[in-house]
Amino acid sequence: MPEIRIENLSHTFGKGGANALTVLDNINLQFESGSFNSIIGTSGCGKSTLLKMMAGLFTPSDGQMTLDGNVIEGTDRRRGMVFQQDAVFPWMTVARNISYGPRLRGASNKEQAEVEAKWTEMVGLKGFEDRWPRELSGGMRKRVDIGRVYANDPDVLLMDEPFGALDAQTKERMQSDLLTTWQKSRKTVVFVTHDIEEAIFLSDKIIVLSSRPGRVHHIEEVSLPRPRNDEMRLTEEFLDIKRRLWGMLDH
Amino acid sequence: MTVMNALRSRRLWLGALSIALVFAFYIWITNRPDNNPALLPPISDIVASFFTNLESGNLLTALGASLFRIAMGFFIGTTLALVIGCLIGWYKVVEYLLDPLIEALRPIPPLAYIPIIIIWFGIGEFSRVLIITIACFMVCVVNVIAGMKNVPQVYVDAASTMGASRFQVFRTVAVPAATPFIITGYRIALAAAWTTLVASELLAAQNGLGFLLQEGRRYFMTDQVMMIIVIIGGCAFIMDRIFRKIQSHLMQWSEARE
Repeated sequence: MPEIRIENLSHTFGKGGANALTVLDNINLQFESGSFNSIIGTSGCGKSTLLKMMAGLFTPSDGQMTLDGNVIEGTDRRRGMVFQQDAVFPWMTVARNISYGPRLRGASNKEQAEVEAKWTEMVGLKGFEDRWPRELSGGMRKRVDIGRVYANDPDVLLMDEPFGALDAQTKERMQSDLLTTWQKSRKTVVFVTHDIEEAIFLSDKIIVLSSRPGRVHHIEEVSLPRPRNDEMRLTEEFLDIKRRLWGMLDH
Repeated sequence: MTVMNALRSRRLWLGALSIALVFAFYIWITNRPDNNPALLPPISDIVASFFTNLESGNLLTALGASLFRIAMGFFIGTTLALVIGCLIGWYKVVEYLLDPLIEALRPIPPLAYIPIIIIWFGIGEFSRVLIITIACFMVCVVNVIAGMKNVPQVYVDAASTMGASRFQVFRTVAVPAATPFIITGYRIALAAAWTTLVASELLAAQNGLGFLLQEGRRYFMTDQVMMIIVIIGGCAFIMDRIFRKIQSHLMQWSEARE
Protein backbone atom coordinates (compact mmCIF):
# COMPACT_ATOMS: atom_id res chain seq x y z
CA MET A 1 0.00 0.00 0.00
CA PRO A 2 1.48 3.35 -0.99
CA GLU A 3 2.18 5.49 1.98
CA ILE A 4 2.02 8.98 0.50
CA ARG A 5 -0.38 9.82 -2.31
CA ILE A 6 -0.55 13.15 -4.10
CA GLU A 7 -3.70 13.59 -6.16
CA ASN A 8 -4.44 16.29 -8.75
CA LEU A 9 -2.43 18.78 -6.78
CA SER A 10 -2.00 22.30 -8.14
CA HIS A 11 -0.84 25.43 -6.47
CA THR A 12 -1.18 29.03 -7.52
CA PHE A 13 0.30 31.88 -5.51
CA GLY A 14 -2.08 34.84 -5.35
CA LYS A 15 -4.84 32.80 -6.94
CA GLY A 16 -7.51 34.92 -8.66
CA GLY A 17 -5.31 38.02 -8.56
CA ALA A 18 -3.66 39.85 -11.43
CA ASN A 19 -0.22 38.48 -10.54
CA ALA A 20 -1.33 34.90 -9.97
CA LEU A 21 1.57 32.51 -10.42
CA THR A 22 0.98 28.81 -10.90
CA VAL A 23 3.95 26.92 -9.46
CA LEU A 24 2.59 23.37 -9.45
CA ASP A 25 0.23 21.99 -12.06
CA ASN A 26 -1.77 18.79 -11.64
CA ILE A 27 0.77 16.67 -9.77
CA ASN A 28 -0.07 12.99 -9.24
CA LEU A 29 2.49 10.91 -7.35
CA GLN A 30 2.80 8.13 -4.89
CA PHE A 31 5.65 7.15 -2.61
CA GLU A 32 5.82 3.57 -1.38
CA SER A 33 6.29 2.82 2.26
CA GLY A 34 9.98 2.55 3.15
CA SER A 35 11.26 3.83 -0.20
CA PHE A 36 13.81 6.54 -0.89
CA ASN A 37 12.50 9.08 -3.41
CA SER A 38 14.04 12.19 -4.88
CA ILE A 39 12.44 15.11 -6.60
CA ILE A 40 14.72 16.98 -8.97
CA GLY A 41 14.21 19.99 -11.18
CA THR A 42 15.77 23.35 -11.93
CA SER A 43 15.19 26.16 -9.47
CA GLY A 44 11.71 27.56 -9.64
CA CYS A 45 10.03 24.26 -10.49
CA GLY A 46 8.20 24.27 -7.16
CA LYS A 47 9.93 21.24 -5.68
CA SER A 48 10.52 22.90 -2.31
CA THR A 49 6.93 24.14 -2.24
CA LEU A 50 5.72 20.59 -2.87
CA LEU A 51 7.84 19.27 -0.02
CA LYS A 52 6.65 21.96 2.40
CA MET A 53 3.09 20.99 1.52
CA MET A 54 3.84 17.40 2.45
CA ALA A 55 5.19 18.70 5.76
CA GLY A 56 1.96 20.61 6.25
CA LEU A 57 3.63 24.01 6.29
CA PHE A 58 1.66 25.05 3.19
CA THR A 59 -1.84 24.28 1.96
CA PRO A 60 -2.18 23.57 -1.78
CA SER A 61 -4.82 25.61 -3.59
CA ASP A 62 -6.19 22.49 -5.36
CA GLY A 63 -6.01 18.76 -4.90
CA GLN A 64 -4.91 16.84 -1.86
CA MET A 65 -2.24 14.67 -0.35
CA THR A 66 -2.73 11.73 1.96
CA LEU A 67 -0.49 9.77 4.28
CA ASP A 68 -1.82 6.22 4.79
CA GLY A 69 -5.17 7.43 3.55
CA ASN A 70 -5.42 10.37 5.94
CA VAL A 71 -5.52 13.83 4.38
CA ILE A 72 -2.44 15.87 5.25
CA GLU A 73 -3.44 19.01 7.13
CA GLY A 74 -1.02 21.03 9.19
CA THR A 75 2.25 19.84 10.69
CA ASP A 76 2.58 16.53 12.48
CA ARG A 77 5.52 14.72 14.06
CA ARG A 78 4.83 11.78 11.72
CA ARG A 79 6.21 13.92 8.88
CA GLY A 80 9.66 15.14 9.91
CA MET A 81 11.57 17.64 7.84
CA VAL A 82 15.21 18.57 7.32
CA PHE A 83 15.57 22.06 5.92
CA GLN A 84 17.92 23.61 3.43
CA GLN A 85 18.85 26.31 5.94
CA ASP A 86 20.53 25.66 9.25
CA ALA A 87 17.65 24.78 11.59
CA VAL A 88 19.66 23.58 14.58
CA PHE A 89 18.62 25.60 17.64
CA PRO A 90 21.71 27.64 18.56
CA TRP A 91 20.56 28.06 22.18
CA MET A 92 20.63 24.32 22.85
CA THR A 93 23.64 22.04 23.07
CA VAL A 94 23.99 19.22 20.55
CA ALA A 95 22.44 16.73 22.98
CA ARG A 96 19.50 18.99 23.86
CA ASN A 97 18.83 19.54 20.16
CA ILE A 98 18.77 15.79 19.57
CA SER A 99 16.28 15.13 22.37
CA TYR A 100 14.09 18.12 21.52
CA GLY A 101 11.24 16.05 20.04
CA PRO A 102 10.95 13.52 22.87
CA ARG A 103 11.15 16.38 25.39
CA LEU A 104 8.15 18.03 23.72
CA ARG A 105 6.16 14.95 24.60
CA GLY A 106 7.37 14.93 28.19
CA ALA A 107 10.05 12.23 27.96
CA SER A 108 11.77 11.56 31.28
CA ASN A 109 15.40 12.56 31.80
CA LYS A 110 16.39 8.94 31.43
CA GLU A 111 14.56 8.55 28.12
CA GLN A 112 16.09 11.79 26.86
CA ALA A 113 19.57 10.62 27.80
CA GLU A 114 19.01 7.35 25.94
CA VAL A 115 17.83 9.13 22.81
CA GLU A 116 20.78 11.53 23.01
CA ALA A 117 23.30 8.71 23.40
CA LYS A 118 21.81 6.67 20.56
CA TRP A 119 21.49 9.44 17.98
CA THR A 120 24.67 11.39 18.63
CA GLU A 121 26.41 8.08 18.01
CA MET A 122 24.33 7.25 14.90
CA VAL A 123 25.09 10.56 13.20
CA GLY A 124 28.76 10.47 14.21
CA LEU A 125 28.75 13.21 16.84
CA LYS A 126 29.82 11.19 19.87
CA GLY A 127 31.97 13.39 22.09
CA PHE A 128 30.24 16.58 20.91
CA GLU A 129 27.14 16.21 23.10
CA ASP A 130 27.79 19.29 25.22
CA ARG A 131 29.00 21.60 22.45
CA TRP A 132 27.07 24.61 21.26
CA PRO A 133 26.08 24.52 17.57
CA ARG A 134 28.23 27.61 16.92
CA GLU A 135 31.27 25.47 17.75
CA LEU A 136 30.47 22.98 14.96
CA SER A 137 31.13 23.04 11.22
CA GLY A 138 28.27 23.29 8.72
CA GLY A 139 28.44 19.55 8.02
CA MET A 140 28.30 18.67 11.71
CA ARG A 141 25.33 20.97 12.26
CA LYS A 142 23.54 19.15 9.44
CA ARG A 143 24.26 15.92 11.27
CA VAL A 144 22.65 17.36 14.40
CA ASP A 145 19.67 18.35 12.28
CA ILE A 146 19.28 14.87 10.80
CA GLY A 147 19.85 13.18 14.17
CA ARG A 148 17.23 15.41 15.76
CA VAL A 149 14.61 14.51 13.16
CA TYR A 150 15.44 10.80 13.39
CA ALA A 151 15.35 10.90 17.20
CA ASN A 152 11.81 12.24 16.89
CA ASP A 153 10.93 8.99 15.09
CA PRO A 154 8.71 10.21 12.25
CA ASP A 155 7.16 7.86 9.66
CA VAL A 156 8.21 10.04 6.75
CA LEU A 157 11.38 12.03 6.31
CA LEU A 158 11.16 15.09 4.08
CA MET A 159 14.51 16.58 3.11
CA ASP A 160 14.84 19.88 1.30
CA GLU A 161 18.30 20.09 -0.30
CA PRO A 162 19.84 19.33 3.09
CA PHE A 163 23.40 19.12 1.73
CA GLY A 164 23.11 22.07 -0.65
CA ALA A 165 25.40 24.31 1.37
CA LEU A 166 28.17 21.75 1.96
CA ASP A 167 31.44 21.27 0.09
CA ALA A 168 31.76 18.31 -2.32
CA GLN A 169 33.67 15.94 -0.02
CA THR A 170 31.50 16.56 3.02
CA LYS A 171 28.45 16.15 0.83
CA GLU A 172 29.49 12.68 -0.39
CA ARG A 173 30.25 11.55 3.17
CA MET A 174 26.89 12.83 4.33
CA GLN A 175 25.12 11.00 1.49
CA SER A 176 26.78 7.68 2.38
CA ASP A 177 26.08 8.17 6.08
CA LEU A 178 22.48 9.11 5.38
CA LEU A 179 22.03 5.88 3.41
CA THR A 180 23.56 3.87 6.25
CA THR A 181 21.19 5.42 8.74
CA TRP A 182 18.23 4.99 6.42
CA GLN A 183 19.15 1.34 5.77
CA LYS A 184 18.76 0.64 9.49
CA SER A 185 15.30 2.07 9.92
CA ARG A 186 13.76 2.25 6.42
CA LYS A 187 11.62 5.32 6.77
CA THR A 188 9.91 6.69 3.68
CA VAL A 189 12.11 9.50 2.42
CA VAL A 190 11.27 12.28 -0.01
CA PHE A 191 14.45 14.15 -0.87
CA VAL A 192 14.48 17.37 -2.88
CA THR A 193 17.66 18.32 -4.71
CA HIS A 194 18.95 19.88 -7.90
CA ASP A 195 21.98 17.59 -7.86
CA ILE A 196 21.35 14.71 -10.30
CA GLU A 197 24.17 12.53 -8.99
CA GLU A 198 22.97 12.90 -5.43
CA ALA A 199 19.47 11.84 -6.48
CA ILE A 200 20.70 8.74 -8.33
CA PHE A 201 23.04 7.68 -5.55
CA LEU A 202 20.35 7.87 -2.88
CA SER A 203 17.06 6.97 -4.52
CA ASP A 204 14.80 4.14 -5.56
CA LYS A 205 12.73 6.55 -7.59
CA ILE A 206 13.50 9.97 -9.06
CA ILE A 207 10.76 12.39 -10.06
CA VAL A 208 11.80 15.00 -12.59
CA LEU A 209 9.74 18.17 -12.44
CA SER A 210 9.58 20.58 -15.35
CA SER A 211 9.65 24.29 -14.65
CA ARG A 212 7.01 27.03 -14.57
CA PRO A 213 4.63 25.58 -13.81
CA GLY A 214 6.02 22.46 -12.13
CA ARG A 215 4.70 19.32 -13.78
CA VAL A 216 5.80 15.71 -13.48
CA HIS A 217 8.03 15.38 -16.52
CA HIS A 218 9.51 11.93 -15.95
CA ILE A 219 9.77 9.22 -13.32
CA GLU A 220 13.02 7.25 -13.21
CA GLU A 221 13.23 3.96 -11.31
CA VAL A 222 16.78 3.41 -10.06
CA SER A 223 17.57 -0.28 -9.73
CA LEU A 224 21.17 -0.01 -8.53
CA PRO A 225 21.67 -2.63 -5.80
CA ARG A 226 21.81 -1.73 -2.13
CA PRO A 227 23.76 -1.14 0.01
CA ARG A 228 25.34 1.40 -2.29
CA ASN A 229 28.91 2.60 -2.22
CA ASP A 230 30.90 5.36 -3.83
CA GLU A 231 32.30 3.12 -6.59
CA MET A 232 28.80 2.82 -8.04
CA ARG A 233 28.94 6.46 -8.99
CA LEU A 234 31.23 5.44 -11.89
CA THR A 235 29.33 2.40 -13.20
CA GLU A 236 27.77 2.39 -16.68
CA GLU A 237 24.28 2.04 -15.25
CA PHE A 238 24.77 5.06 -12.99
CA LEU A 239 26.20 7.18 -15.77
CA ASP A 240 23.41 6.13 -18.16
CA ILE A 241 20.80 7.44 -15.79
CA LYS A 242 22.84 10.56 -15.21
CA ARG A 243 23.04 11.28 -18.94
CA ARG A 244 19.33 10.70 -19.41
CA LEU A 245 18.32 12.99 -16.55
CA TRP A 246 20.89 15.59 -17.54
CA GLY A 247 19.20 15.95 -20.91
CA MET A 248 15.84 16.43 -19.27
CA LEU A 249 16.96 19.14 -16.88
CA ASP A 250 18.66 21.06 -19.64
CA HIS A 251 15.64 22.53 -21.40
CA MET B 1 44.22 33.61 23.52
CA THR B 2 47.22 35.79 24.33
CA VAL B 3 46.27 38.09 21.49
CA MET B 4 42.80 38.34 22.97
CA ASN B 5 44.24 39.13 26.39
CA ALA B 6 46.56 41.72 24.93
CA LEU B 7 43.65 43.39 23.13
CA ARG B 8 41.58 43.23 26.27
CA SER B 9 44.22 44.85 28.44
CA ARG B 10 44.89 47.51 25.82
CA ARG B 11 41.18 48.25 25.79
CA LEU B 12 41.14 48.59 29.59
CA TRP B 13 44.19 50.83 29.57
CA LEU B 14 42.84 53.13 26.88
CA GLY B 15 39.51 53.38 28.71
CA ALA B 16 41.24 54.25 31.97
CA LEU B 17 43.41 56.75 30.11
CA SER B 18 40.47 58.81 28.86
CA ILE B 19 38.97 58.98 32.35
CA ALA B 20 42.35 59.93 33.82
CA LEU B 21 42.73 62.70 31.21
CA VAL B 22 39.36 64.22 32.14
CA PHE B 23 40.39 64.10 35.80
CA ALA B 24 43.73 65.71 35.08
CA PHE B 25 42.08 68.44 33.05
CA TYR B 26 39.60 69.11 35.87
CA ILE B 27 42.38 69.31 38.48
CA TRP B 28 44.39 71.60 36.24
CA ILE B 29 41.49 73.96 35.60
CA THR B 30 40.41 74.10 39.27
CA ASN B 31 43.97 74.95 40.30
CA ARG B 32 44.19 77.96 38.02
CA PRO B 33 44.20 81.23 39.99
CA ASP B 34 41.25 82.59 37.97
CA ASN B 35 39.01 79.57 38.69
CA ASN B 36 35.72 80.30 40.45
CA PRO B 37 35.26 77.45 42.99
CA ALA B 38 31.56 78.23 43.22
CA LEU B 39 31.19 77.02 39.62
CA LEU B 40 33.95 74.44 39.49
CA PRO B 41 34.67 73.20 43.02
CA PRO B 42 38.04 71.49 43.51
CA ILE B 43 38.03 67.73 43.87
CA SER B 44 38.90 68.02 47.55
CA ASP B 45 35.59 69.87 48.13
CA ILE B 46 33.65 67.24 46.22
CA VAL B 47 35.23 64.48 48.29
CA ALA B 48 34.55 66.45 51.49
CA SER B 49 30.91 66.82 50.47
CA PHE B 50 30.76 63.07 49.96
CA PHE B 51 31.95 62.38 53.53
CA THR B 52 29.74 65.07 55.06
CA ASN B 53 26.67 63.61 53.40
CA LEU B 54 27.76 60.08 54.22
CA GLU B 55 28.19 60.86 57.93
CA SER B 56 24.92 62.77 58.19
CA GLY B 57 23.16 59.79 56.61
CA ASN B 58 21.69 61.99 53.86
CA LEU B 59 23.50 60.17 51.12
CA LEU B 60 22.52 56.64 52.11
CA THR B 61 18.90 57.65 52.71
CA ALA B 62 18.80 59.29 49.31
CA LEU B 63 20.51 56.38 47.61
CA GLY B 64 18.16 53.91 49.28
CA ALA B 65 15.07 55.89 48.25
CA SER B 66 16.28 56.22 44.67
CA LEU B 67 17.34 52.61 44.29
CA PHE B 68 13.98 51.48 45.66
CA ARG B 69 12.15 53.58 43.04
CA ILE B 70 14.37 52.26 40.28
CA ALA B 71 13.92 48.68 41.39
CA MET B 72 10.13 48.99 41.57
CA GLY B 73 9.71 50.87 38.31
CA PHE B 74 12.18 48.69 36.46
CA PHE B 75 10.71 45.44 37.71
CA ILE B 76 7.07 46.33 37.04
CA GLY B 77 7.80 48.07 33.73
CA THR B 78 9.97 45.34 32.22
CA THR B 79 7.73 42.53 33.46
CA LEU B 80 4.71 44.14 31.81
CA ALA B 81 6.79 44.77 28.70
CA LEU B 82 7.86 41.12 28.56
CA VAL B 83 4.32 39.77 28.89
CA ILE B 84 2.64 42.27 26.57
CA GLY B 85 5.54 42.30 24.08
CA CYS B 86 5.45 38.51 23.80
CA LEU B 87 1.69 38.52 23.26
CA ILE B 88 1.93 41.24 20.61
CA GLY B 89 4.85 39.56 18.88
CA TRP B 90 3.35 36.09 18.89
CA TYR B 91 -0.41 36.48 18.50
CA LYS B 92 -1.61 38.35 15.43
CA VAL B 93 -4.91 39.31 17.10
CA VAL B 94 -3.13 40.96 20.00
CA GLU B 95 -0.74 42.63 17.57
CA TYR B 96 -3.57 44.14 15.50
CA LEU B 97 -5.26 45.25 18.71
CA LEU B 98 -2.34 46.78 20.60
CA ASP B 99 0.39 47.60 18.11
CA PRO B 100 -1.16 50.87 16.84
CA LEU B 101 -1.60 51.99 20.45
CA ILE B 102 2.03 51.28 21.31
CA GLU B 103 3.18 52.98 18.10
CA ALA B 104 1.09 56.06 18.93
CA LEU B 105 2.42 56.30 22.49
CA ARG B 106 6.03 55.45 21.64
CA PRO B 107 7.21 58.89 20.42
CA ILE B 108 5.96 60.60 23.59
CA PRO B 109 8.87 61.13 26.00
CA PRO B 110 7.97 59.56 29.37
CA LEU B 111 8.75 62.85 31.13
CA ALA B 112 5.83 64.43 29.28
CA TYR B 113 3.52 62.37 31.50
CA ILE B 114 4.85 63.99 34.68
CA PRO B 115 2.40 66.92 34.80
CA ILE B 116 -0.67 64.77 34.22
CA ILE B 117 0.52 62.17 36.70
CA ILE B 118 1.04 64.86 39.33
CA ILE B 119 -2.46 66.21 38.63
CA TRP B 120 -3.96 62.75 38.94
CA PHE B 121 -1.92 61.16 41.69
CA GLY B 122 -0.10 64.00 43.45
CA ILE B 123 3.62 64.07 44.11
CA GLY B 124 3.86 60.93 46.23
CA GLU B 125 5.94 57.82 45.89
CA PHE B 126 3.35 56.23 43.61
CA SER B 127 3.71 58.94 40.98
CA ARG B 128 7.49 58.65 40.85
CA VAL B 129 7.42 54.87 40.52
CA LEU B 130 4.69 55.18 37.90
CA ILE B 131 6.78 57.48 35.71
CA ILE B 132 9.76 55.13 35.88
CA THR B 133 7.47 52.18 35.15
CA ILE B 134 6.09 53.89 32.04
CA ALA B 135 9.57 54.76 30.81
CA CYS B 136 10.89 51.21 31.35
CA PHE B 137 7.83 49.66 29.76
CA MET B 138 7.91 51.78 26.61
CA VAL B 139 11.57 51.25 25.74
CA CYS B 140 11.52 47.58 26.68
CA VAL B 141 8.30 46.51 24.97
CA VAL B 142 9.53 47.72 21.58
CA ASN B 143 12.57 45.46 21.88
CA VAL B 144 10.58 42.47 23.03
CA ILE B 145 8.24 42.85 20.04
CA ALA B 146 11.18 43.20 17.66
CA GLY B 147 12.74 40.07 19.17
CA MET B 148 9.59 38.02 18.72
CA LYS B 149 9.18 39.21 15.14
CA ASN B 150 12.76 38.36 14.24
CA VAL B 151 12.52 34.72 15.24
CA PRO B 152 13.83 32.90 12.12
CA GLN B 153 10.96 31.10 10.40
CA VAL B 154 13.04 27.97 9.88
CA TYR B 155 13.26 27.40 13.67
CA VAL B 156 9.49 27.74 13.96
CA ASP B 157 8.98 25.33 11.04
CA ALA B 158 11.49 22.86 12.44
CA ALA B 159 9.75 22.78 15.81
CA SER B 160 6.29 22.51 14.22
CA THR B 161 7.29 19.60 12.01
CA MET B 162 8.60 17.83 15.11
CA GLY B 163 5.14 18.07 16.58
CA ALA B 164 5.42 21.17 18.77
CA SER B 165 2.12 22.91 19.50
CA ARG B 166 1.85 26.64 18.90
CA PHE B 167 2.44 27.30 22.60
CA GLN B 168 5.39 24.90 22.72
CA VAL B 169 6.95 26.71 19.77
CA PHE B 170 6.48 29.95 21.66
CA ARG B 171 8.03 28.62 24.85
CA THR B 172 10.88 26.54 23.44
CA VAL B 173 11.75 28.50 20.29
CA ALA B 174 10.42 32.05 20.17
CA VAL B 175 11.42 33.12 23.68
CA PRO B 176 14.99 31.77 23.57
CA ALA B 177 15.49 33.04 20.01
CA ALA B 178 14.31 36.50 21.11
CA THR B 179 16.52 36.57 24.23
CA PRO B 180 19.23 38.81 22.73
CA PHE B 181 16.61 41.45 21.89
CA ILE B 182 14.88 41.06 25.25
CA ILE B 183 18.10 41.52 27.21
CA THR B 184 18.95 44.61 25.16
CA GLY B 185 15.48 45.92 26.00
CA TYR B 186 16.15 45.39 29.70
CA ARG B 187 19.43 47.25 29.50
CA ILE B 188 17.92 50.21 27.71
CA ALA B 189 15.10 50.17 30.27
CA LEU B 190 17.63 50.40 33.07
CA ALA B 191 19.18 53.50 31.51
CA ALA B 192 15.70 54.97 31.01
CA ALA B 193 14.92 54.25 34.66
CA TRP B 194 17.85 56.40 35.81
CA THR B 195 16.91 59.24 33.46
CA THR B 196 13.33 59.40 34.61
CA LEU B 197 14.24 58.82 38.25
CA VAL B 198 16.34 61.95 38.43
CA ALA B 199 13.80 63.97 36.48
CA SER B 200 10.93 62.89 38.71
CA GLU B 201 12.94 63.59 41.86
CA LEU B 202 14.04 66.99 40.60
CA LEU B 203 10.42 67.97 40.14
CA ALA B 204 8.82 66.58 43.21
CA ALA B 205 10.56 64.76 46.02
CA GLN B 206 11.64 65.21 49.61
CA ASN B 207 14.42 62.66 49.33
CA GLY B 208 16.45 60.77 46.76
CA LEU B 209 19.50 61.58 44.66
CA GLY B 210 17.54 64.00 42.48
CA PHE B 211 16.43 65.83 45.61
CA LEU B 212 20.05 66.21 46.77
CA LEU B 213 20.90 67.60 43.32
CA GLN B 214 18.08 70.10 43.59
CA GLU B 215 19.10 71.02 47.14
CA GLY B 216 22.68 71.57 45.97
CA ARG B 217 21.49 73.91 43.25
CA ARG B 218 19.16 75.83 45.57
CA TYR B 219 21.86 76.49 48.21
CA PHE B 220 24.62 76.86 45.65
CA MET B 221 26.52 73.82 46.91
CA THR B 222 28.16 73.00 43.61
CA ASP B 223 30.38 70.41 45.28
CA GLN B 224 27.27 68.46 46.34
CA VAL B 225 25.84 68.65 42.83
CA MET B 226 29.09 67.33 41.36
CA MET B 227 29.29 64.59 43.98
CA ILE B 228 25.76 63.34 43.24
CA ILE B 229 26.44 63.34 39.50
CA VAL B 230 29.44 61.10 40.08
CA ILE B 231 27.39 58.83 42.38
CA ILE B 232 24.64 58.47 39.80
CA GLY B 233 27.17 57.76 37.07
CA GLY B 234 28.86 55.16 39.26
CA CYS B 235 25.62 53.40 40.23
CA ALA B 236 24.34 53.28 36.65
CA PHE B 237 27.72 52.00 35.49
CA ILE B 238 27.85 49.22 38.09
CA MET B 239 24.29 48.13 37.29
CA ASP B 240 25.04 48.05 33.59
CA ARG B 241 28.13 45.93 34.25
CA ILE B 242 26.10 43.47 36.33
CA PHE B 243 23.62 43.30 33.48
CA ARG B 244 26.35 42.58 30.98
CA LYS B 245 27.55 39.71 33.15
CA ILE B 246 24.05 38.26 33.21
CA GLN B 247 23.78 38.82 29.48
CA SER B 248 27.01 37.03 28.61
CA HIS B 249 25.99 34.17 30.91
CA LEU B 250 22.59 33.80 29.26
CA MET B 251 24.06 34.23 25.79
CA GLN B 252 26.77 31.58 25.98
CA TRP B 253 25.26 29.98 22.91
CA SER B 254 25.47 33.09 20.78
CA GLU B 255 28.39 34.00 18.58
CA ALA B 256 27.74 37.69 19.14
CA ARG B 257 27.76 37.83 22.91
CA GLU B 258 28.88 41.00 24.71
